[in-house]
Amino acid sequence: MDLTIAILVTVVGASTPILIAALGELVVERSGVLNLGVEGMMLLGAIAGFVVQFHTGNHYLALICGAGAGMAASLIFGFLTLSLSANQTATGLALTIFGTGFSALAGASYSARPVSLMSPIFPELAAHPVLRVLFGYSFPAYFAIFMVFAIWFFLKKTRAGLILRAVGENDLSAHSIGYSVVKVRYFAVMFGGAMAGIAGACFPLTLTPQWAEGMTAGRGWIAVALVVFASWRPFRLLGGAYLFGLVMTMELYAKAGGGPLSAIPSELWAALPYIATIVVLVLISLRRDASTNAPACLGKPFMPSN
Amino acid sequence: MMRFRLEKRPEPSKLMLYGTPVAAVVLTMILGCLLFSAIGYNGLRAVQEIFFTPLTNPYKWQDLGIKAAPLIIIGTGLSVAYRANVWNIGAEGQYIIGALAATGVALFTWGMSGWWILPLMAIAGMVGGMAYASIPAFLKTRLNVNEILTSLMLTYASVQVIYYLIRGPWKDPMGIGFPQSRLFSEAARLPNIIPGTIVHLGVPIAVIVALIAWFVMSKTVFGYRMRVVGAAPHAARYGGFSENKTIWLAMLVSGGLAGLAGMLEVAGPFQRMVPGFPTNYGFTAIIVAFLGRLNPLGVIVAGVVLAITFVGGQVAQTTIGLPDEATGIFQAMMLFLLLAGDILVRYRIRRISPEASAGAA
Repeated sequence: MDLTIAILVTVVGASTPILIAALGELVVERSGVLNLGVEGMMLLGAIAGFVVQFHTGNHYLALICGAGAGMAASLIFGFLTLSLSANQTATGLALTIFGTGFSALAGASYSARPVSLMSPIFPELAAHPVLRVLFGYSFPAYFAIFMVFAIWFFLKKTRAGLILRAVGENDLSAHSIGYSVVKVRYFAVMFGGAMAGIAGACFPLTLTPQWAEGMTAGRGWIAVALVVFASWRPFRLLGGAYLFGLVMTMELYAKAGGGPLSAIPSELWAALPYIATIVVLVLISLRRDASTNAPACLGKPFMPSN
Repeated sequence: MMRFRLEKRPEPSKLMLYGTPVAAVVLTMILGCLLFSAIGYNGLRAVQEIFFTPLTNPYKWQDLGIKAAPLIIIGTGLSVAYRANVWNIGAEGQYIIGALAATGVALFTWGMSGWWILPLMAIAGMVGGMAYASIPAFLKTRLNVNEILTSLMLTYASVQVIYYLIRGPWKDPMGIGFPQSRLFSEAARLPNIIPGTIVHLGVPIAVIVALIAWFVMSKTVFGYRMRVVGAAPHAARYGGFSENKTIWLAMLVSGGLAGLAGMLEVAGPFQRMVPGFPTNYGFTAIIVAFLGRLNPLGVIVAGVVLAITFVGGQVAQTTIGLPDEATGIFQAMMLFLLLAGDILVRYRIRRISPEASAGAA
């Protein structure tokens, strides 16, 4: 029982950054833009969050600055792809290469310096042996779940959400009714950048209390894959992210449980999240409605004829 | 106030197509100088050391050659794939698996001698890279799974394959606990082609590979087909060119060349498999392919330019204490600026006279 609870708590912690980044990317893709720079924006958010926490000791300020760093990076992407209609795939890759390099440079003098992790927001309940499954987390875990509902509500129930979806499904029609496609997409891209930045900041603030080069280790790419897995729907994203959290923490479970599973080499466990991503993408493609949910304009530059 | 507007060109500008990569490199130097000055380094020195010292110092030329070789080989493969709109971004993984396949041959033939060992390693490297690239190709053609994500995920997995092999079955028995393979036998090491330097056989091979690819892509039906499928998939379908076959070819060519580069790297500079073998050549080659305008001849030039930044980055590290990571920032800036400049290929900037714009408003 204790072990199960411990695992569930670890799963939620490991899933949270992926969920936050994936929620941001979901909104971006619903507006018709494919930003493959999530991993780079996460790394920039991680280093910004780390540096701010290191110097000020304020976790919330660190999260906000992480969001700011991700958003600033997303503006580079937005300017290139939306204002200059550059190739989205290539620009996203460039953003990831840039984020990896810039975060490594900015963090070079901070390696092996510890910060403190965020503490749970309900300290008394977090000490309870069972209730900590629900109340044992710091702010980002609850923020992520709140954003699942908020984004669902925004997309389904608000006028702005309707416009965003219209822009993603048929940019030319949205343009002809008088909506500014580029403006809507800029907002979406900036939101995605802020979310990726927060997600990145979660790594030093909630998982491992230090800066390490490339510390997000491909989680940004897994977030991109999760959006496909979730067929661009927020609630499916929630389930998908926790499933991935389970895969990522399974090594602990196997090692602690003993038995035949503990004989599996640690390298295989380390490779498992990536292999699982591929398996999940394959399973999704087997479903009949697989591609019909993708926003129709995803990844295509907006080019009105005039 | 002067105003400008973009006007679509009747056809893409050749001048801009080849001029923008040059402009991107020059602008990178200017912006890089400003950026590094802003964060407290000597920006001018940084640009000088990174972009010019490797060219002006003849001792650095051999480094340029051996850094450019893998970039050119992988970049050539990627340019073929990207031309066909096949987004293989897992070249790093195919490079790693190719190197591991070659390492397998070298360890299997350890202690033997014979001219056939290196060619066998090269074949193993290419087959390894192709096999690894065939996973995304299969998933894309059969199940329409996005090749960007699968090829990238396989790269992360391939790094773990190195760790597993050199900590376990391939661990050097004489390595005093270091996780690395044993040093390859003489027959499994690439010969130096210029005595007294570190320039190995991989350097001329890289140039030959790019030249062959240029010939095939611009002068043969195969190349024509790849270009048509990439540029106009619908027209290609009418013309009877199978999209799936093109995806397979693009993946196998780019994967095979990445694997060959992996073999040359492990048999050349490394001469054994070590945990630090992955050096992101597979990712940097993406920049090389774009900077070279997806043209194998351009890739040769772009490969040398990126090699300059690598070698120069090391120089700047020792002379002015610029962190190694600065190189990556210069490289990413180059790609950003190149992509930003792309618009000038398709559009031209027109000045709008005040009266005309007033009339329009």
